[in-house]
Amino acid sequence: MTKITQRLGGATTVLALCAGLVFSAQASADDLAAGKKIAFDRKKGNCLACHQIAGGKLAGTIAPPLISMKARFPDKAKLRAQIWDSTVANPNSIMPPMGRHKILTEKEIDLVTDFIYSL
Amino acid sequence: MKKLITAFGLILLISGCNATTPAKPTSMKAQYEAALADTQAAVKKAASVGGEWRDIRWKKSKKKYLPSAIKAAEAGDYAKALKLLDIAKFQAEAGYKQAMDQKNAGPRF
Amino acid sequence: MKKTLTLLLSAGLVATATQAFSSPKQDLEKFRTYFEQRFPGIELNEFGNGPYALDASKRLQWESMEEFPPYEEYVDKGREIWETPFKNGKSFASCFGKDPSKVRVKYPHWDSKTQQVVTLEGDINKCLKANGEKPFGWKKGKIAHLGAYLGYEARGQKTNVVIPNDPKALQAYEEGKHFFYAKRGQLNIACADCHVYYSGQRIRGNTLSAALGHTTHFPVFRAKWAKKGKGDGLGTLHRRYGGCNKQVRARPFKAQGKEYRNLEFFHTYMSNGLEINAPGYRE
Repeated sequence: MTKITQRLGGATTVLALCAGLVFSAQASADDLAAGKKIAFDRKKGNCLACHQIAGGKLAGTIAPPLISMKARFPDKAKLRAQIWDSTVANPNSIMPPMGRHKILTEKEIDLVTDFIYSL
Repeated sequence: MKKLITAFGLILLISGCNATTPAKPTSMKAQYEAALADTQAAVKKAASVGGEWRDIRWKKSKKKYLPSAIKAAEAGDYAKALKLLDIAKFQAEAGYKQAMDQKNAGPRF
Repeated sequence: MKKTLTLLLSAGLVATATQAFSSPKQDLEKFRTYFEQRFPGIELNEFGNGPYALDASKRLQWESMEEFPPYEEYVDKGREIWETPFKNGKSFASCFGKDPSKVRVKYPHWDSKTQQVVTLEGDINKCLKANGEKPFGWKKGKIAHLGAYLGYEARGQKTNVVIPNDPKALQAYEEGKHFFYAKRGQLNIACADCHVYYSGQRIRGNTLSAALGHTTHFPVFRAKWAKKGKGDGLGTLHRRYGGCNKQVRARPFKAQGKEYRNLEFFHTYMSNGLEINAPGYRE
C-alpha cells in the first residue's frame, strides 16, 4: 500500500512539475509539428496503431479516435497523465505506458500531449 | 604574509590539480564497473522471472544496451557506457516489477 | 522480519492463485463462450481461418490466394523429407508410424515419463538424433516443411489435446495459461490483450486474429516471412511466438524451450474440437 502511495506521490510530483511547464506557454506550430511526428512514428508514439487521428493513414480501431480532446480532457494534465501511464486509470489497459516504461522521453511526451490536445 | 598565503594557495591549487587530473579516468572506470555489476545483477533478476525486455542484451536487438555499454567502455567512452547502463538497468528493474505485478494474471471473463 | 514478510506475501499469492483456480475444462468453456458472444454467428470451425473469419474484405483476398496456395511446394518438400530414408536406412516412419495422417493430431501432448510437454517439432529432432542425423533448425526450413506436410495430411481432423489429471501436467498448463494472460515487454501487452480482448479490431492495417483457432493452421506461410533474409515464408508456431514477444518489446524465449512448449499446450487445448487446416496462408 505504502508503495502504491509512494508511486502515486512520485507520479503526481512529476505531473505537477510538467503541468507547470506545459501551461507556461502555448505550444508553437513547430512544437505541434514535432509532436505530430512523434505520435505518428511507428517506433515512437505509434498512436495510429490504435487511434484514428486526423491526417494519419491506416489507423487502428482498438481505441477511441482522437478528436475534440479539449472537451474530453478539460484538464490537460489529465491527458498527459493518461499518455504517461494509462494503467493508473485502468490496470488492464492495452495502451503502453509511454512515460512509466520510458517508451518516450518526458520532453517527447510534452510534445505529443500538446499535439493531441490540439486535435 | 600575503605572499605566503598566495604561495600556499598556489601549492594547494597545483597539488589539487595533480590529484584530480590523473584520478578522473580511474574514478570514471570505477563508477562504470560498479554500474556494470549493478546492471548485470538487475538483468539476471529480471530474467529469473521471465521479465527481460527485448533491448537489454538479446542478440537480435538493434539496441542491446548492456553489450553496447561494455563495448563503449572498452573503447574508453565511459560517459556513453554509463548512459547505456542506466537504460539497461531501468529496463531490467521495470521488467522485474512488471513480472511481479502480473503474477496473478489470468482471464477476465 | 523481511523473511516473514516475504513468506506471508508468497502465502498470500498462493492463496489467491488457488482461489482463482479453475479446471482446464472450465477454462475452455469460458473461452468458447467469450468468443461466441464476441463474434455471434461465426461457426466454431471458422475461427481456424484467423482474421479472415472476422474481416470480410480481407477474406476475399485470402480466398484468391488459397486458389494457388504459395505453401503447396513446401508440402511437397515435406513429403520428400518424410519419404527419404536416413543414412541408416530407416525413415521418419520408424519414429512416427507409417501413416503420416495420424501424426499431427497427437501433438502437443504431456509425456509422463519426462514430465514435460512434447511437441511435433521436438519429436522430429529427437527422431533425427536417434538415427544419427543432424537435427533441423527449430523455426523454419525443413522442420516447417515436414510440419506442413504432416499438417496437410491431417487436415479435417479435430484438435484434441489431453491435459492429464497429473499435478505436473496441470502445472505446465497453468504456466502456459499464465504466459498467455500476463502483460510483458516494454509495451506492456499480453497475448490476450490483442488476441482475446481486441480480437477482430485493427492494429494499424492488420486485423487482430482470435486466439481461438490460432494453432490449427501452423506451420504457417506468411507473406511477411517470404521476404529476402526472412526465409521461404514458412514458419513454426514457436517462431510466431517469438515474433509476437519481440513486437511488444519483450525478449523472445527460445523456440522449443519450456515457456513456449507450455504456452503451446494451453493455446492448442483452447482450440480443441477445431479442425486442423495446416499449413495456412497469412499476410
